[in-house]
Amino acid sequence: MKVNEIMNTKVQSTTPLATTKEAARQMHDIHVGCLTVMEGERLVGILTDRDICCKVTATGRDAGFTKVHEIMTTDVATCFPEQGVEEAAEIMMKAQVRRLAVVDHDSRITGFLSVDDLARASHQLASSVLESSTTYH
Amino acid sequence: MKVRDIMTTKVESIEPTAVLRKAARKMSELNIGSMAVVDDDGKLLGIITDRDISVYAIAMGRNPQDTEVQKVMTRDVATCLADQDISDAATIMQQQHIRRLAVMDNNLLSGFLSVDDLAKASSDLAGAVLVAATPIH
Repeated sequence: MKVNEIMNTKVQSTTPLATTKEAARQMHDIHVGCLTVMEGERLVGILTDRDICCKVTATGRDAGFTKVHEIMTTDVATCFPEQGVEEAAEIMMKAQVRRLAVVDHDSRITGFLSVDDLARASHQLASSVLESSTTYH
Repeated sequence: MKVRDIMTTKVESIEPTAVLRKAARKMSELNIGSMAVVDDDGKLLGIITDRDISVYAIAMGRNPQDTEVQKVMTRDVATCLADQDISDAATIMQQQHIRRLAVMDNNLLSGFLSVDDLAKASSDLAGAVLVAATPIH
């Protein structure tokens, strides 16, 4: 089975210069925990709800003044849409993540693949990813 | 297999009157995403997650230096019993579309059971929980 058969193609994005408070509000309104950070067509990073908690709130910064680019993750784990789901699971395990950005060969983002998506294809693969990733209680 | 055989017994907790900044710092330092909120007698009052802090408090413009944990915690905590079978616990998670249960023993909090713990015992149970869980993409 290929990544593009089970990935989530709804990609929600923000911009590097948005404030983290605005990004948190967006995550709230559309019920997501992760936004892609886009500079025009280009993927420049990923921002999660946890990033805002740990890098803004925990450190005493003001979310109204902290920009997304200051705390986003720029080293984004990716896979290709036509890759097999087994390979994608391996990438997750190696990178110790539960979500991959799916990018085409022109580096355009076409979707996301999460461990939840993986579970719909194979319980075994999804479980392996959970087992290998840093426990996160 | 029983819940007590695979649950995580290390329970990190915080007091209900702690401010969100303190809770965020603790979760960041301990590399965890949720904590039990307990009173002086050790009674479980609720759960607070990194997402509660960023997406429900910061998004709404609450000040993390003076907003108490009890204002944003989840009070209605899903639980199971330490001597319950793990398949029963997985069913509870599936029915409530969640990934973690508080484990009670003699009315006291004795640990947490997450889908990660479940994955170590049964990939099928963990996979089914992921498929049923509310997606946070």
